[in-house]
Amino acid sequence: MTNQDQIENTEDTGVTRRGFLGLMGAGVAATTALVSVDSNAQFGQHKTGHKLAFQQNEAQYEEALNNPPQIPNYNWNDHKWSYGVDVSRCIGCMRCMEACKAENSVQEDANHHRTWIERYVYLEGAEEALVDSAADPKNIEYVGSEVHFRFDNRYKDEKVDKAFFVPKLCNQCEEPSCVQVCPTGATFKAPDGVVLIDTNYCFGCQYCVQACPYGVRSLNEERGTAEKCNWCYHRITKGLNPACVEVCPTGSRVFGDLNDKNSPISLFIKNNQVTVLKSEMGNKPNLYYAGADKEVS
Amino acid sequence: MPKHIVRLLTIIAVLVIVALSARFYFKDSSFYQYGHYRGKAPAEIASKLPKIQGSASCQSCHKAIYDEWSAGIHRKSTKDNAVPGIVVKAGPNCEVCHTPAGNHPSKEPMPLSVEDRMTTVTHSHDHVHASNIPGRKLMLTPDEMRGVCIACHEKMPGRPSIQPQVVINAHAGEELCTTCHNPHSPKINYDKVPRMVAMKKAGVGNATAGKVVSANCATCHGNTGISASGAIPNLAGQKSIYLANSLRAYKSNARSNGIMNAMASALSDSDIENVSTYYSQNSCKAPSVDKGKAAAGKAKFAEVGCAACHSSGGLRKPGLAGVSASQVWPNLAGQNAEYLVSALKAYQEGNVKANQDGARYHAIMTDVAKTLSASDIENLAAYLASSSCK
Amino acid sequence: MEQVFGQVAPYIGYVYPNETEIPWTDLIVIYPYITGLVAGAFVVSSLHHVFGIERFKAVSKFALLTALCFMCFAPIPLLFHLGQPTRAFEPLITPHFTSAMAMFGYVASFYVCLLSLEVWFAFREDLVHLSKTSKGFAKKIYTVLTLGSDDISPKSLALDHKIARILAMIGIPGAMGLHGYVGFVFGSLKTREWWSSDLMPPIFLVSAVVSGVGLLIVLYVITCKYRKVVPDHEAMVGLKQVLWASLIIVLVFEGLELLEMVYKAREGIETVMALIKGPIWAGMSIQWGLSFFSLAVLSAMMIKNPQGKKFVNWMFVCGLAMMVAVLAMRWNVVIGGQELSKTMKGLLTYYPQILGRESLLTVLFLFMGPFITLYFAAQFIPPWEDAKSHPHGKAAAH
Repeated sequence: MTNQDQIENTEDTGVTRRGFLGLMGAGVAATTALVSVDSNAQFGQHKTGHKLAFQQNEAQYEEALNNPPQIPNYNWNDHKWSYGVDVSRCIGCMRCMEACKAENSVQEDANHHRTWIERYVYLEGAEEALVDSAADPKNIEYVGSEVHFRFDNRYKDEKVDKAFFVPKLCNQCEEPSCVQVCPTGATFKAPDGVVLIDTNYCFGCQYCVQACPYGVRSLNEERGTAEKCNWCYHRITKGLNPACVEVCPTGSRVFGDLNDKNSPISLFIKNNQVTVLKSEMGNKPNLYYAGADKEVS
Repeated sequence: MPKHIVRLLTIIAVLVIVALSARFYFKDSSFYQYGHYRGKAPAEIASKLPKIQGSASCQSCHKAIYDEWSAGIHRKSTKDNAVPGIVVKAGPNCEVCHTPAGNHPSKEPMPLSVEDRMTTVTHSHDHVHASNIPGRKLMLTPDEMRGVCIACHEKMPGRPSIQPQVVINAHAGEELCTTCHNPHSPKINYDKVPRMVAMKKAGVGNATAGKVVSANCATCHGNTGISASGAIPNLAGQKSIYLANSLRAYKSNARSNGIMNAMASALSDSDIENVSTYYSQNSCKAPSVDKGKAAAGKAKFAEVGCAACHSSGGLRKPGLAGVSASQVWPNLAGQNAEYLVSALKAYQEGNVKANQDGARYHAIMTDVAKTLSASDIENLAAYLASSSCK
Repeated sequence: MEQVFGQVAPYIGYVYPNETEIPWTDLIVIYPYITGLVAGAFVVSSLHHVFGIERFKAVSKFALLTALCFMCFAPIPLLFHLGQPTRAFEPLITPHFTSAMAMFGYVASFYVCLLSLEVWFAFREDLVHLSKTSKGFAKKIYTVLTLGSDDISPKSLALDHKIARILAMIGIPGAMGLHGYVGFVFGSLKTREWWSSDLMPPIFLVSAVVSGVGLLIVLYVITCKYRKVVPDHEAMVGLKQVLWASLIIVLVFEGLELLEMVYKAREGIETVMALIKGPIWAGMSIQWGLSFFSLAVLSAMMIKNPQGKKFVNWMFVCGLAMMVAVLAMRWNVVIGGQELSKTMKGLLTYYPQILGRESLLTVLFLFMGPFITLYFAAQFIPPWEDAKSHPHGKAAAH
């Protein structure tokens, strides 16, 4: 502890007014550092996502744990983000998709999305649902643009048994296939639960695009790197909601911190029978659905 | 060992050393800090600035509209039914319809809107003119305008029944949603939305009965509504709803004018409707004016964007200047220049609270009028007076 | 359904919006194909070098040179495919060991080094002769390639031979590893029903041998005709046997894989069947049709053991047929796997581009690369062991 050394030295040499102020500052800093080290160590004990890195010994691992990345007012050891979707509330307005594209500068066409809405329609007597989404040519023709999204009303004259909209986005899996197959380490799982893409390191092989069971990844041709939802990491680290949650007019998207027992997501999971998509893949998604139909996958 | 083997091994050794040192040299120093990735990456990703700023950020400048929105059904904080105990915000916030704020207001005007034009008019010194940005549209087309609403409110299989939905053509025909609904607080409140008060009573007047009432007005406004003096407005051919609104405003003293307050207080509601209808059906007559001033006024009319309200086609498809598209806004073409000058000056002096001593306040008109000089006003008045009013 | 947008694959049913642009296209078809061609050539040279099967002596050095030329071009399609090709060195610097693809750089460079060494040891004697007989600039290059040593005493040649044999012995598991690994890249993805099979690595491995032997037959016959030499009958018989045997293994494995998929009939099997009947119907027909055709011809030749020109011609046809069949198989696997949506509710149809970075033109140029390289390499260090080849080299040796 260099701060403590400073304190002792200053006491030995006598305290001037200026030195005293410095001493106080150092003391405060030292205390803060001690407290934060303590709390980090506590979180470090019951962490599952964090593992020893290659070429890293125990001491380096401990040091890394106690020195999270320099994000202002944010410590990734304190959070465990999760996301919920209440299918019964979604109205399929696709405002989330447009907001996401604007927020994250996703390619402006109908074939690259970080999040999208699917429409499932069971026509009368049908056993299987008809499904469509933004990339559907009829929807694009209806809106007349690949930049704005809206569902056409193609079923308005049909007899419909059941119909619903399902928002899709990255599941931020506990065991992400994309991270497993990334050859460079350009994508990784942060200890707060979010799978991130380092666009300055990704070299665009698209193996992750193949590996994702949920089809949430794509190649951004403008950047030449992989593209994926990161729950607006730049927003949630500033205490904001992800863009899609922020704009959702019906509250069908729920986001929050599992470490906080009163956060919207904790209550959502507690009070709903939630499911995850494609659990047979073994990816252990962190995106929970309430009221998802059997056809949703 | 033969010479060629020794040399081969040497070459291999050199290559291996080069490869190892290249690896050491090129590897990012923060790699492996937290795991198999660059330790700098998370902070880099988190450092991006949000583009969606949230409704609270709109509040400081657009307080009136923010209040309107936050009191209405487009912003509800409800106790969630499905999940007891969670307050979930329901209803679109500002950026859902107006698109993300991004750099607004420091660098950009908001992209979506009628407001677009208005903000560039009222804050012209603080904003880049929207019309100067290549490829930017000034206003939404009627279809786009409706598209904003029906993205959520079109009746469609799959939308939960709790969501208000309409079959748009059966509900509104070709009419714009904003004719009846205030998008910021769309639930129609007939008592609070002035337009709706007018709508409810539109077209009920009886012109024959109105002619009898008009006898009281003829001294100043002439027999058919072509007034005797330049200071007194012509009424012939004016929008009936505008006339009725004005009379009601005089009657309730919301608008002050010694003579008119007294005259209007003597009129019943049906008198007001009848006389307004009578005048609106008479034909107007354009007075003669200074042509030089009129030409200067025409340029100013286009620059300020008066056509947004006071043209038969609006800004999208400019039609007859000074002939308003809406029943609510007055026709200006063929109006007496002297009266127009005094009206604009009255707007200039208006402020939110005071609406007396001849001063008039209107959220848009006052802001616009304050950007005009005395000569601008003269020119505009001359131009409008000379414009064809039919 | 008509194609609506430029590079977007049209689809039926429902596919995830992000799937409508196929991530791996023609270049990733050609990459395992070129890699595979290396295998057959390498196997044949190993049969001679390691197992001492003398009948392959006539083609063994040529096979080795072919393998090297093709291996040098194997990583190029990947570079063209990358979104950020300048960062291609990253998996070498910070390889992610859980990723099948991270190992590619190491495996490929190891294999290129190994092949270069093998070629060097196999051709060292020739290089020394050439450095003495040639003149001018060529002489300088030959001298540099000999590393300035003209030691071709029987003792050092014996050492060379021993080292070459050890290298070839390392090379066999290396080659197996490389091709099995390419299969693993596809087979290990649980996401894609069409790829996710335990049989994928052996299928890639053996079909690589088939295509490679086919290539060797085609190239050997052509070069013999060009040099006006009769192809070595013993060598051709040996190639016939290898081709027949490996073709049978491939057909059994591929048949088993399909059978398992159909028999297990997991969710979405209807879509798999629709894929076979739909977008990759032509590919499947070419693959299986040509395979069975070659099998029939080869079997007939195994029984009747024809001689002379007729035999050579039929071998040429079989070799070419298997090259095309394996190319079709690569297409069916790589493209077919992506045409089957992850939703298992829809099918895409991929139409290759003609011009552009990832297009048929690029593929054509890339595929011409190894042949051109091989042409110049064979001029530079003639690999022929048969009598009439490179007169000055042999003449100098005796």
